[in-house]
Amino acid sequence: MNEYTCDLRAAVQDSEPATVYIRKHRFSVGAPLHFDQEYPYITALEHALGALAADIAGGLQAAARRHRVPVDHIEAVLTGRLNNPLTYLGVVGEEGHPGLERVAVTVYVSSPAAQEEVQRLWIETLQRSPLVSTFRKAVHLELSYQIVL
Amino acid sequence: MDKPVIVGAVLYDPKVAVIWEMIAGFFAERQLPMDTVFYTNYELLVSALLQGHIDIAWNSPLGWVDAQRRSGGLCRAIAMRDTDRDRVSHWVVRTREGIGQITDLRGKAVAVGAKDSPQATLIPLSLLRRHGLEPGKDVQVREFNVLVGKHGDHVGGEQQAFQCLARGEAEACAILDLNWEAWTGNGTINPLEYNILATTDPFDHCVFTVAADFPPDLERQWLKTLLSMDYTNPNHKEVMDMEGLRQWLPGRTSGFTPLSKAVDESKFFEGV
Repeated sequence: MNEYTCDLRAAVQDSEPATVYIRKHRFSVGAPLHFDQEYPYITALEHALGALAADIAGGLQAAARRHRVPVDHIEAVLTGRLNNPLTYLGVVGEEGHPGLERVAVTVYVSSPAAQEEVQRLWIETLQRSPLVSTFRKAVHLELSYQIVL
Repeated sequence: MDKPVIVGAVLYDPKVAVIWEMIAGFFAERQLPMDTVFYTNYELLVSALLQGHIDIAWNSPLGWVDAQRRSGGLCRAIAMRDTDRDRVSHWVVRTREGIGQITDLRGKAVAVGAKDSPQATLIPLSLLRRHGLEPGKDVQVREFNVLVGKHGDHVGGEQQAFQCLARGEAEACAILDLNWEAWTGNGTINPLEYNILATTDPFDHCVFTVAADFPPDLERQWLKTLLSMDYTNPNHKEVMDMEGLRQWLPGRTSGFTPLSKAVDESKFFEGV
C-alpha cells in the first residue's frame, strides 16, 4: 500500500487568525480556544469538533448513496467537554489539561428506510470514518443516531 | 515597551477571562500596559502578591484580611467597585414557620455557603454570635462547601443553602443582598414564602490590593486610569456591566471591620 499523507500549511502573521493552506484552498482559524461568544473567529477546537460532526454526517450520507437508501436530511449535534479549560488560561494551581475529555455526537437521520437499513449505514459510517477512528483513541466518544420523520 | 503592571485574579469560570482581556485592552489604549495572571484560589493570589510575583491583586474581602494578617498590616486597598461597598447579607426563613426573631433559631439548623465565604457564612454567623447563638453549639450549621478557596465567589454554595432551607432541612439560610434581590426578582425565590429575619451590618467586598513596595507614582497613574472608566461612555459600559459596576471608587478599609471581627471570633485562620 502506498503511503497517503495529508499535507497543509498554517501561517500566522502579527495576530489571529491563522491561515491554513490545503491543496488549492485556504481557511482561517482563530485562537486554539476562546470563551467569548462574540469572538469573531472559529477556534481551532471548534474546527476540530466541526470536522468530526461533518465527517459523521457526510459519511452517513455517502453510505446512503452507495447503498441507494433514501435519506432526506442528516444533522449531527455534538457536545465536547474539556478536561479543565482553566489550564488553557494558565490559572496557577489548576490541575488537569485543556484537552477534550468527552465528545458526544447524536445524528438525526430523516429517512423512510427501515431501521435495519439505517443501522447498517451507521455501522459502516463509523467503521470508515477517519476522524471517529482517531478520536476514539484519544477521548471518550459517545455516538448515537435517531431516525426522525 | 513599558514594563506592564501585573494584576492577579482568581478565576473559576473561563468566561471571566474575557472581562480581564477587556480591562487590559482599556489600559493598553491609555499607554499603561497590563498583564493578568490567574490563580485557582485566594491563598495563592495573596502569596503571589506578598512574594512580589504580581503588582496588584483583585482580592476578595477575606483575601484582603489575609493579606493584612500576613503582611503585618502593610498592604493597601487602592480601588473597588461601587457595588463592593456597603453590602449586607440576610438570614432568610420560611414565612409560615413563624420565626420572628433571630434568637428563635436557638436549637435549630441554619444553612450557609462555603466555609470561607464572607457573605454567605462568616459574617452571617457573626451576627448569630452577637445575639448569643454560638454556631455549632446553639445552632447547627449546615455548610455547602462549593469551591472552597474561592471565598464564595461562586454562588453555588449560597444556592445550595437556600435549597436546603426550601427542603425544610434548615430553619434559615444566609443570602447576600444582591442575590436575594436577584432571586426574588427572577422567580427563583417566591417572596411570599420566604422573608428576611435579620440583616448583617454593611460590609465591603472585593478590592484591588497592593503590597507596601508598590511604587506610589505607578499606583497613582494606574488608579487615575482605572477611575477614568466612564459608565456613560458606550465603549466602557460593556465591560463595566460584565464586571457589575457603574463606577470604580478608591479603596477603603473601614468596610472590612465586620469580616475581621467574624474571622477573629471564628479563629478562621488558626491552623491554616
